[in-house]
Amino acid sequence: MITAERKPLEEIIACVAPFRKVLLVGCNECVTVCAAGGRKEVGLLASGLHMALLQQGKSVEIREHTLERQCDPEYVEELNSLIDGADAVLSMACGCGVQTIAGRYKDKPVFPAVNTKFMGASERQGVWAERCQGCGNCLLGQTGGICPIARCAKRLMNGPCGGSTKGSCEIDPDTDCAWQLIWDRLKALGLTENYVEMIPAKDWRTSIGNGPRKIIREDLAE
Amino acid sequence: MTFQKRLAAKEFVVLAEMHTPKGVNISRLVNDARKVKGKVDAVVIPGMDNGIMRMSALGGGVLMQQQGIEAIMHVYCRDRNRMALQGDILAAHVLGVQNLIVAHSEDITEGDHREAKPVNDIDEVQLLEAIGKLQKGKDMEGFELDGIPSFNTGCTFGPYTDPKSMEAQLKLAKAKVEAGAKYIITPPVFDMEHFKGFYAKVKELGVPVIPTVFLIKSLAIAQYIASTDPGAHISEDVISRIRKSKERELEGIKIAGETIAALRELAQGVMIQTLGWEYKLPEILDAAGI
Repeated sequence: MITAERKPLEEIIACVAPFRKVLLVGCNECVTVCAAGGRKEVGLLASGLHMALLQQGKSVEIREHTLERQCDPEYVEELNSLIDGADAVLSMACGCGVQTIAGRYKDKPVFPAVNTKFMGASERQGVWAERCQGCGNCLLGQTGGICPIARCAKRLMNGPCGGSTKGSCEIDPDTDCAWQLIWDRLKALGLTENYVEMIPAKDWRTSIGNGPRKIIREDLAE
Repeated sequence: MTFQKRLAAKEFVVLAEMHTPKGVNISRLVNDARKVKGKVDAVVIPGMDNGIMRMSALGGGVLMQQQGIEAIMHVYCRDRNRMALQGDILAAHVLGVQNLIVAHSEDITEGDHREAKPVNDIDEVQLLEAIGKLQKGKDMEGFELDGIPSFNTGCTFGPYTDPKSMEAQLKLAKAKVEAGAKYIITPPVFDMEHFKGFYAKVKELGVPVIPTVFLIKSLAIAQYIASTDPGAHISEDVISRIRKSKERELEGIKIAGETIAALRELAQGVMIQTLGWEYKLPEILDAAGI
């Protein structure tokens, strides 16, 4: 999922303070799972903003609404009945959701209330960790299901840098060395021959090398 | 007189662009440069900003200095992060390169290493600010330098296709000047009337404006530019002139010479771009009466 963290309240206040009526929009998908921008967080932020703005002697009317999926134009249409009553939109979705609203309602300023962080997985309750950088050409089959691009600090493709200690990355003892994990896993799977097979210089065109990416499914596209 | 001093004295400057080799054979670069030594004020050494992997601009710049030819070195953001950029810039000063151009770089997909990962850690305005900071004895993080470099730094006016994108580039050029660019190199001039209007706007930025004069090597190139780059304003008259000429290469040289001569009356200098035909530079200079 896409993970996010709420921005500091002061930063959000600076965005919405100039407006009288703000539509605060959450999302029921990834940001709900990582407890950054779902219905519950929308309510909490609205209360926090009310109190903070009142303390500053400002009155901003905040209307709350949480969409099923903010990155989907079909669901964003739900805002049609609310948008005219708002001077600005404050989105608690990831950057995809913010941009979908900005693209749909071109005359409304839209501000992000969260910082979108990474594509990650839940490690345990309340902890999410980066697992994928969306490089567009998945190598997990060769690397024992552990991604060196997302999980090695140096994004090394052919073995560790030599800086790890007891299986931890040199940049942070709480971060696993991806290549230690890869080796352990390949060994457990009896696939250590994968380890010595050199991965050639990566073709980054499938990632950030070729500009903004798009998937067009001819069988589905209207 | 150095390039910087000529600019300060408002004298017309003549710059010639020369590319480094794709390899280590420097004989052509050195020979071509020697042929224009004393005839041009400085040689501009691009890096890989057009997307083609070749010897670095720092290497080419130092080579020019070793030949007693003043070098202007391109620096650009696509291939190096802020650390590598600052490191190369410090090295340039130590090795005698006194002039920099913060250049626009083509997208990585336009070059010959299309699988490479573009860097773009900082942008051109931020790089100009970083160069300014280095000249005040600090790196981008504010750490003090042991020995302070100095440069005469300019920038390029980015490519544009229509009045709207020209306005956007104009705003960006203003930001570049505010960030420390002391001169501006413009895209090639193919139409003097269009250039006059453009020049009037760029001149308002308050720094010397040096237009590029591009050698049209063939009819095909002229037609290609006309069909793919509407911002170039290459007229049907120019294309027709080359088409009708019995010696098309010579016609291209004449056109470049005439453009340079016309610009002498208007701009602060010219930057002659021949893209691989640097050996033709003496003929172009002759045609221009330089």
